Amino acid sequence: MKKTLMTGAAMAALVAGSVSAQDLSGETITVSGSWLSQEAEVIEAVFDIFEERTGATVKYVGSDSFEQQILIDSEAGSAPNIAIFPQPGLAADLASRGFLTPLKEGTAEWVRDNYAAGQSWVDLGTYANESGDEELYGMFFRVDLKSLVWYSPENFEDAGYEVPTSMEELKTLSDQIVADGGTPWCIGLGSGAATGWPATDWVEDLLLRTQTPDVYDAWVKNEIKFNDPRIVAAIEEFGAFARNDDYVAGGAGAVASTDFRDSPKGMFASPPQCYMHRQASFVPAFFPEGTVVGEDADFFYFPSYAEKELGNPVLGGGTLFAITNPSEGAQALVEFLRDPAAHEVWMAVGSFLTPHKGVDVSKFATDSARSMNDILLNATTFRFDGSDLMPGGVGAGSFWTGMVDYAGGKDAMEVATEIQSSWDALK
Amino acid sequence: MDNIAGQKSSLTWAVHFSVVVLVLLWLLPTLGLFVSSFRSADQIASTGWWKSLFSQEQNVVIRAEKPDQQKLLDELYVIEGNLFAQDGAVEGDVSVWGTSSKDISAYAAGETADLGEKGRLTVEVNGDYRFVNDTEFTGSRGQRVFLTATTPPSFSLTNYKHVLSKESGTSSMSKAFFNTLTVSIPSTIIPILIAAFAAYALAWMDFPGRALLIAFVVGLLVVPLQLALIPLLKLHLQVGIGKGYLGVWLAHTGFGLPLAIYLLRNYMVGLPKDIIENARVDGATEFQIFVKIILPLSFPALASFAIFQFLWTWNDLLVALVFLIDSSGDTTVMTRQIVELLGSRGGNWEILATAAFVSISVPLCVFFAMQKYLVRGLLAGSVK
Repeated sequence: MKKTLMTGAAMAALVAGSVSAQDLSGETITVSGSWLSQEAEVIEAVFDIFEERTGATVKYVGSDSFEQQILIDSEAGSAPNIAIFPQPGLAADLASRGFLTPLKEGTAEWVRDNYAAGQSWVDLGTYANESGDEELYGMFFRVDLKSLVWYSPENFEDAGYEVPTSMEELKTLSDQIVADGGTPWCIGLGSGAATGWPATDWVEDLLLRTQTPDVYDAWVKNEIKFNDPRIVAAIEEFGAFARNDDYVAGGAGAVASTDFRDSPKGMFASPPQCYMHRQASFVPAFFPEGTVVGEDADFFYFPSYAEKELGNPVLGGGTLFAITNPSEGAQALVEFLRDPAAHEVWMAVGSFLTPHKGVDVSKFATDSARSMNDILLNATTFRFDGSDLMPGGVGAGSFWTGMVDYAGGKDAMEVATEIQSSWDALK
Repeated sequence: MDNIAGQKSSLTWAVHFSVVVLVLLWLLPTLGLFVSSFRSADQIASTGWWKSLFSQEQNVVIRAEKPDQQKLLDELYVIEGNLFAQDGAVEGDVSVWGTSSKDISAYAAGETADLGEKGRLTVEVNGDYRFVNDTEFTGSRGQRVFLTATTPPSFSLTNYKHVLSKESGTSSMSKAFFNTLTVSIPSTIIPILIAAFAAYALAWMDFPGRALLIAFVVGLLVVPLQLALIPLLKLHLQVGIGKGYLGVWLAHTGFGLPLAIYLLRNYMVGLPKDIIENARVDGATEFQIFVKIILPLSFPALASFAIFQFLWTWNDLLVALVFLIDSSGDTTVMTRQIVELLGSRGGNWEILATAAFVSISVPLCVFFAMQKYLVRGLLAGSVK
């Protein structure tokens, strides 16, 4: 208790000392990222607080082709002050080419002390620079939770189903639904040029539930090959859900062609096309208009096997702030993210989770968001979305297309071997 | 002996028929997009646009009013209203309905369902309902009613209002509209001016190396502009132009010039030689010949290139992203604004359809105003 008080006081002093006292009037800080409408408005509200305190002007520009845009701008020397990266892989790539500026000293210590599982957030933001030295470049802000299963409580009630607490129960429930003449799952992999990514989340989640976290880490670094039997087993585990005609709405053949944005709508159709949908915390944006999370739709933790004793692993993703064009204001803005107020603005709007331990949880818009954040804070193991950490050619390329092939009926071993050879080709 | 002049070949009908089929095929996606632009996201997700034109039988879930709307009448708690009065619901005729997702057609319209402790619910054909209970209704959400209803076609202008009025953060559609004009108009005029001079020189003035120069310009036609993006941007930043309107005008001018010069030069070469020689004999300078004779005669070619260039710069996103849109966000163009309206994960499909028609309106006006030149100009240089 005393210790938390001390950190609290230290933090208040820090906030008072460095952020609010700093006068940056007249300075313009440019920020770009991939958040567009809705999220863009919220991040601007966050920056408004910063503008009020410092007098600086923050200009945010969102782009759906952020990944390409930031490369062009860095290459040409016209980068914004701060870039908000949707995944660490791209930031690491830019850091290794010397386009990023390390964050202020002390940031690493602060993150370690104030974020839940702090060390892992530091590691995820630390990359090698041009000369190979490791430095902290990225500050995480806003986390997505991926290990969630969404369902309609009223449909469960109508059919008399209970929320499962272990993977065994989840599978029994799925069989039960089939026996009752229903369809348990809605799965859609379609996402334009990124078709296939929802399946990579499934495989990662299932790998964390069948193997130890070490195996996961080694797999992400390719120290364990993609066609290792343990990985192939996880892919086949996904197949047990997605390639089972009885389990999936529209049959297994519809999995690859259904858009991930449309697939959750099946839960709310009349009659319901499916009962459950495994997707990250952002998915309520694609529920039919007027759906209230917590009442019309709810979620439960994608459970782990009771018999395997691997704890409660959680898969997540997150966005990080990095400085692409150094200025005093840019450093101050990144430092401002330490302030709980920056997190609370977004918490109040919804679909925002944060590992920051100092935030006031009563600021969450809904109870469901609060319990979602609890899943994050109570996770025995937190692992970052593996495909975001792999090299782009695999994590945003052959892994996606491979999973589409697999969902279409190709052999798991064959698919894994192909992904591995594409990885080898990148080395 | 069918093909005697003056007699219609029976093939004519086959030709007409296949033209009609091809045109319909060609227009079908556009028509679908047009219909979709008047439908809401939920409508698009549930049925195809071709079904929306007719009344159809649909299964919908609608909630009755929340328990806080209940009234106490004759010692009974009552919630009354019309299901179709809810936001976003489309009016229709109820045939059967239910209250459980397991049995959505349990009752016919007009019947009363006894839900035990929860109360007694009656739903009429027109959607009027009456929910009665002896004890007070509790909970925060209204009772779900699963309806099977025949709904007439329903369209709305909501999408258009959203696209035209949305003020998203740094930019609005009207601002983007004027920004796009600021990009397109100079980017059309500058290359035409330069290309007309160049084309005249390459067509009618004798100087050594002319043929080589023409070959070089034609050669440039095949260079993809993507090659030049980053080097050109670096150059702009070095000379101090930076990202901005000047940069994007120069870029569009550069990328448009080879085609412009090639098109205009071939047209000008085809003009009657006698006129020009007469003018020379009469003592006209090259500039006078250009302004007084060549320019008026080449109007169709100029106009057709102007249409091409205007359409290309109007619809361009790539060049604008690289040379114009900087991190200040003040210089966004319409194509970019539309992409932004799609949302972070690109799910707002109905916006895409609507935005396409908003964005297409100006090029359509330009096209119809100048189309008579387009056909003539397209033949520029190909027929003598």
